[in-house]
Amino acid sequence: MHAQDFRRLFVRYKILALLLALAAIWIFFHVATGGAFISARNLSNLLRQTSITGMLACGMVFVIIAGEIDLSVGSLLGLLGGVVAVLTVNLQWSSWSAVLLVLLLGLAAGLFNGFIVTRLRVPSFIVGLGGMLAFRGVLQGITHGATIAPVPADLVYLAEGYLPPWPSSLLATGAFAVLVALTLLRRRRRKAQSIPQAAAWLDVLKLAVAGAVLAIFTSMLNRYSGIPLPVLLLLALLVIFSYVASQTVLGRHIYAVGGNVEASRLSGIRVSGVKMVVFGLMGLMCAFAGIINTARLAAGSPSAGTNGELDAIAACFIGGTSMRGGAGTVHGALIGALVMASLDNGMSMMDVDNYWQLIVKGAILVIAVWVDVLSGAKRD
Amino acid sequence: MSDYLFEMRGIKKSFNGVPALSGIDLRVRPGECLGLCGENGAGKSTLMKVLSGVYPHGSWEGDILWQGRPLQARSVRDSEHAGIVIIHQELMLVPGLSVLENLFLGNELTRPGGRMDYEAMQVRAKALLQELQLEDVDVSLPLMHFGGGHQQLFEIAKALAKHARLLIFDEPTSSLTAKETDVLLGIIERLKRRGIACIYISHKLDEVARVCDTVSVIRDGRHVATHAAHELDENRIIALMVGREIETLYPRVPHDIGDVLLRAEHVVCHDVADPARKRVDDVSFSLRQGEILGIAGLVGAGRTELVSAIFGAYPGHSEAQLWLEGEPLRIRSPQDAIRAGLGLVPEDRKRHGIVPLMGVDQNITLATLRHYARAGRVDREHEEREAENQIGRMRVKTANAALPIALLSGGNQQKALFARMLLTRPKILILDEPTRGVDVGAKADIYRLIFELAAEGVSIILVSSELPEILGVSDRVLVMSEGRLTGNFVNAGLTQEQIMAAAIGSASTAGPANVPGRQVHEGEQPLVF
Repeated sequence: MHAQDFRRLFVRYKILALLLALAAIWIFFHVATGGAFISARNLSNLLRQTSITGMLACGMVFVIIAGEIDLSVGSLLGLLGGVVAVLTVNLQWSSWSAVLLVLLLGLAAGLFNGFIVTRLRVPSFIVGLGGMLAFRGVLQGITHGATIAPVPADLVYLAEGYLPPWPSSLLATGAFAVLVALTLLRRRRRKAQSIPQAAAWLDVLKLAVAGAVLAIFTSMLNRYSGIPLPVLLLLALLVIFSYVASQTVLGRHIYAVGGNVEASRLSGIRVSGVKMVVFGLMGLMCAFAGIINTARLAAGSPSAGTNGELDAIAACFIGGTSMRGGAGTVHGALIGALVMASLDNGMSMMDVDNYWQLIVKGAILVIAVWVDVLSGAKRD
Repeated sequence: MSDYLFEMRGIKKSFNGVPALSGIDLRVRPGECLGLCGENGAGKSTLMKVLSGVYPHGSWEGDILWQGRPLQARSVRDSEHAGIVIIHQELMLVPGLSVLENLFLGNELTRPGGRMDYEAMQVRAKALLQELQLEDVDVSLPLMHFGGGHQQLFEIAKALAKHARLLIFDEPTSSLTAKETDVLLGIIERLKRRGIACIYISHKLDEVARVCDTVSVIRDGRHVATHAAHELDENRIIALMVGREIETLYPRVPHDIGDVLLRAEHVVCHDVADPARKRVDDVSFSLRQGEILGIAGLVGAGRTELVSAIFGAYPGHSEAQLWLEGEPLRIRSPQDAIRAGLGLVPEDRKRHGIVPLMGVDQNITLATLRHYARAGRVDREHEEREAENQIGRMRVKTANAALPIALLSGGNQQKALFARMLLTRPKILILDEPTRGVDVGAKADIYRLIFELAAEGVSIILVSSELPEILGVSDRVLVMSEGRLTGNFVNAGLTQEQIMAAAIGSASTAGPANVPGRQVHEGEQPLVF
């Protein structure tokens, strides 16, 4: 294969380049930490770390694809996590009712942001900046600037619990079976309607790769304690968000609005409705992330989620989301989140000072987007 | 040694093999004002970009002589340095900066170290503005405090600050009032007396007659004629501008025209930035079933605004009373319009039409995605089948249906956008400049489709700046001028000259007395409500 072919392959499957970069990062840390990085225990831990940024990235990738941005998510995550702590610790609510209320609150906060962007037509950058300050302020107000602990054990379980090994294996097997069934069904439908379809070997290859990833992933986690619950939640969100992005009218409209808002409007798409949904989902994701964050710390902290928006946005851009909107994938953003978490995790294990961690993460973000610009330069 | 300040000889320029200019000669003496006339798309803008250095020397053929010596400008800066300054239709000023800063924008007078020399600029600005009889202007005020007329004069002052010897005006009065126009023309006279040459591009032939010494007409990228201004009258210029046979590009298909389908009354569009100004001023018309209604007019006459308002897509404030099949119709958004059975293929394909990164297929199905969905999930197979059908019917040339639409040629993008709207099964299809930037083959396909649709009973509103297209396709022609309806002709024996006369708004030829293309009065139509 020539260099040009490689280049074309990466432009087509950006995700390959990203996975190679991730592999390089992992191998580096594995060597640098004397073989401690790629271990069952650490990978379990790493994925758990990824889950919070990953949840935000799920919501953020839609926001960015739709051509907007939301800078308030770190503060909103902190606020919603704080509300869970206040409800369960100070007000003695049951964990489940607190979780339910906070999910609704998150949705409402997101819709509120969306309302200001679409109806009052304040640019989302400003709305996010305002929310970043205001939500943090509310959080400090309700916690009186103090940590609220300890939250109930069943809440902590949400972050610290595991799906035990044998149900995990069962789940992975089931997921693989569903993938196979969906592929077969699709091939049959397309054949019945004589629509051209991908070569059979390509589908087999895709299934084989998916199966291998599922098997390695599950067996690795099973060697520790099973699939951590936040990771399970993130995987569920990955499936749902990918489904929305690739299979639904809503998903297509999100891409269209980000790709050309005027063309979408003239095609009869309710642009402000689409944006409201996107911001609403973002708020909901902040609620999930906030709840898990509070559960993981076993406490509500007035500084929780600081810089969370930056990690989420960086994850999206590393994962190949277009800055101008209209292009991006959920799984790309999640791999981006995994890259960010790997850097945090690896450098912590190497005892690198915090300031170096910030410098490296910042540099990786800029380099990732630069590579993206390079590979896309020929398109314009 | 010639006595011309500026000469162009045999200028040729083509884009991707399509010639835009094929041999243009222009000459201007010091202190002379040359009028340049031609239809939209005749090549005036391209020509101006060649001579102002926007297209660098080497990207076109021919010679430009400046004071008898070859000029090889590689950029706008080079040609401005020589003394050629273009004053664009859209003013190139920065609203938030002061008048003074605008006058010297990119040409600032500085002290050592790059510091702005405000004193020197103030002195110079005073002298410049005095020359333009603008002594009372406070140059420290932001530019946006002044109206369009003043801003135009500031552009001239800015050009003079660069020691311009040749000023090019591109439709300078399109946004000026009659009084402001008088002031501008007076100033051009003064500049001429000082030995500054001008090229004056305008559709307003009365202005051309007033201020120009010589008139050159170009058509289809060719130089047609140059005459002393006093040898020409308006009719003669119009004849030179249009004078060509209508090609057999229009395969007219006889079709039945039914009852009134849409009636629009008192359509008014207010300018987005300046709501006091009306872009469309009280226009009423009706459209019959299966009728192809052409809307002609010059750029800026308000045609796009009119059809956007009807489609619920006008960005500013607009009013319109509509009746569809006799029923009152309220359209507040493009969604309402599409639901009511209207479709719009917009003028600006790139900005308002394509979603560039999306595939051709997904672009085609964008307006009708819900038709292929159950419970919010898109049936991809159904969607692809529809898209493939449309690609076949419209003869969209694409390597595969999923190719990003940005990679297609303009004509094929346009066909895909047609397909997008046809899938909504419109009763009325509005086409805004559907063949702009489209090659001849795709043009023929588009015309064929227009006639096919009309024969199926779809009503078509065709906005076009190309008169042969308007005459070759329309059953009836509306003409707009400066926001108003100035002509409503049945297309039988109608000539380009009549349309042009109505579009320019000259009263001499647009009257109902003009027999061949019968002027229709709305009142004489048997309205069906």
